[in-house]
Amino acid sequence: MTDEHRWEGRLEHSGEPAELTPEDEPPTTSQGRETDWVADHDTKSRDIRPALGKPGEPAAWTAAKPGAAVPLARPSFGDAQWSFLYKARDTAYAAAEPSPGQVVSANRRMRRAQVTDVHGPFIHAPVWSWEVPLYFWFGGMASGSAFVALACDVAGDCRSAAIARRVALGALSPAPVLLIGDLGRPDRFLNMMRVFKPRSPMNMGAWCLVAFSGSSAAAVGADLLGRPRAAQALGALTSLFGSYLGSYTGVLLACTAFPVWARSRTILGPAFVATATASGAAATRLALVASGLPDGHPTRSALGGLETASMLSELVLSAVGERQLGDAAEALRRGRPGTLFRTAKSLVVLGLSLRVVARRRMGPREHDLASIMYLAAGLAFRFAWVSAGKASATDAAAVAAMGRGRRALHDVRERPRPQRAPSMDRSQLPLPGAARRAYGEAIRRASLAIERRLRHR
Amino acid sequence: MSTGSAHTEIAIHRSGAQRMGFFTDTTVCIGCKACEVACKQWNDLPADGSVPGKGASYDYTGDLSASTWRHVRFVELLEPSPQLREEAQRALESGGGNKFPAIPASGAIDLVDAAQAGDGAADVAEAVSKMGDWVFMSDVCKHCTNAGCLDACPTGALIRTEHQTVVLQPDVCNGCGYCVPACPFGVVDRDPQDGRAGKCTLCYDRLEDGLEPACAKSCPTDSIQFGPHEELVEIASRRVARLHERGIEGAYLYGAGDEPDEQLAGGLGAFFLLTEPPELYGLPAQADSPVQENVVPATLAAVGAGLLASAGAVIAFVAAGRLSRRRPVRESW
Repeated sequence: MTDEHRWEGRLEHSGEPAELTPEDEPPTTSQGRETDWVADHDTKSRDIRPALGKPGEPAAWTAAKPGAAVPLARPSFGDAQWSFLYKARDTAYAAAEPSPGQVVSANRRMRRAQVTDVHGPFIHAPVWSWEVPLYFWFGGMASGSAFVALACDVAGDCRSAAIARRVALGALSPAPVLLIGDLGRPDRFLNMMRVFKPRSPMNMGAWCLVAFSGSSAAAVGADLLGRPRAAQALGALTSLFGSYLGSYTGVLLACTAFPVWARSRTILGPAFVATATASGAAATRLALVASGLPDGHPTRSALGGLETASMLSELVLSAVGERQLGDAAEALRRGRPGTLFRTAKSLVVLGLSLRVVARRRMGPREHDLASIMYLAAGLAFRFAWVSAGKASATDAAAVAAMGRGRRALHDVRERPRPQRAPSMDRSQLPLPGAARRAYGEAIRRASLAIERRLRHR
Repeated sequence: MSTGSAHTEIAIHRSGAQRMGFFTDTTVCIGCKACEVACKQWNDLPADGSVPGKGASYDYTGDLSASTWRHVRFVELLEPSPQLREEAQRALESGGGNKFPAIPASGAIDLVDAAQAGDGAADVAEAVSKMGDWVFMSDVCKHCTNAGCLDACPTGALIRTEHQTVVLQPDVCNGCGYCVPACPFGVVDRDPQDGRAGKCTLCYDRLEDGLEPACAKSCPTDSIQFGPHEELVEIASRRVARLHERGIEGAYLYGAGDEPDEQLAGGLGAFFLLTEPPELYGLPAQADSPVQENVVPATLAAVGAGLLASAGAVIAFVAAGRLSRRRPVRESW
């Protein structure tokens, strides 16, 4: 090293900051980094593909034959001679022999120690946008209409049943568009049907959506072809699928780590069914009124009663659920979800009072207005529940309390969570192994082909 | 921890493959973030565009995300924790040579000055009692035995590898986002630009080539240790015993060494040695796969209500029909 390169021990300040061009500066936000990266790397998209497969070739999941060697695998992890701490030169890093039960009791003591401070964030907020609650609303309306169609058939009102079946199909039609639109990679929507996974509510919901739309379309088709018997049978099948389509959305939200959803796991499904039935009945009622069903017809009267009963049970279920929640209920009361909940409840009360008044003094117009209010209330309930999850995820104290099995963070009473079986048992499509793999692989390749076609356009 | 007859799971199987994992010892972490950088470089992950100075913290990363798979969490406490205070007091009372707790600690008060200025023990005790507490934890995907993301994934993009790790296949993931709320540890996230989810793979590609994961390789203090899970648990237990010997009573393992009914998510593939209650590090005291916890009661309640609702509709219509035959019905409510 020459003398002029020697460090003088003193920093020279020129006084003026060095001039930087924008290219020298790191980006201040994440905006545009994807497009920049793509531009730099001359690829069609960023691919976070480190784990499986070779660059340019997609990877496949296949259950390898037991005993077969993984390509390039070495018998031992040669590089994992990891530590200077306790290998050749022992630093007494892990020198002590633990006494029996020492680690178990230390873990127990500290995991049950008094909560001094809570440093979030614990969990990530959901990434779902407005499409999802809107889909819940439409899907609920479709399944509620399917219930109504079944009931009309049983009660002998075949004309109304046919209209209800059309309402069900019509309400369902925006659902796939909304769901695909919410995906991060919409062109890969087909992968939803790649496996059959009873454990995953979203997978089961996707299959149920397919089944419901299939049987619902077939029922409407049978109506158009003048096959009332077939239409009735298909309508009954549709309403059976509808009892899952209208309720699984609650299961979907319950199977998460967000306190406000997970803690209302037995409330969410029934509450969503109630909203679904009310919206389906209200939509069918409006459609029937538009189609000229006379005032005073028993179907109109029954639909009005069904709407009111469902909305009232939704209110009761919400109130019961809120009591179970403890501190997590704050997510339902404050901010945007709070406003939405209050809006929904006032709309229900308003609709209900309209019904009461209309019964005494006014005509059918007010009843129609009440139905519209119930529909709006259903929409507000969906948006409220979804946005409550977002609020709950950022409530670190509520998440910590749920981890402790407590209703509130400093509550003394605890209900420890029971241990679950390991997550090894999961069924897939009920097909032989080879056929199942071929099916999954075909779906994956089809998805990638669709994606390529759409992206290159 | 073995898979047993796990051939129904969406998994890669290889006979003789061991469960591999991370043991992250927070007592030797210096918060250098070399693991974060190594992870980003090896996996070619873009920057998250974090803005320095958020929350008056030195932790510019903020959180794990779809493109940040290692995150050194800086837990900055303005007050010393009761544990630290107790340990300091105990160390002083015992009068041994080592007057300072061995927990990494720093604060506004210079301990050396405090010790030199006064008569030693009393001033040091005072200094420690006023001292801020600062701990680091290199957070990562826990590769749970009961993995919520793996249970939730509707496309089969998330799989279990032969090393018992949970890996996301980027060519299958369609970005539905359901794994994000299904993770009780807030690990997996969806990339807003890429549209797919992303998380630690425990460097599956490096493992296949006989290399240790990039973060463990780069860790200068061996705070992140990689190896067969069983060996790591043994080393970690010995480390806990050693720390207890040295007077750090608060040392414990998060995610390993528990009784079967107290395990976190069935046992974590990547577990931690901590010295404070878990909530301080943004970790839940108990967690499990939310899907496994909730799916059965929630589905029973939901489908039951669905069937009840359709039955209720039928009853309402039949009753209305009967009623109308007896007397004319007005529009009802």
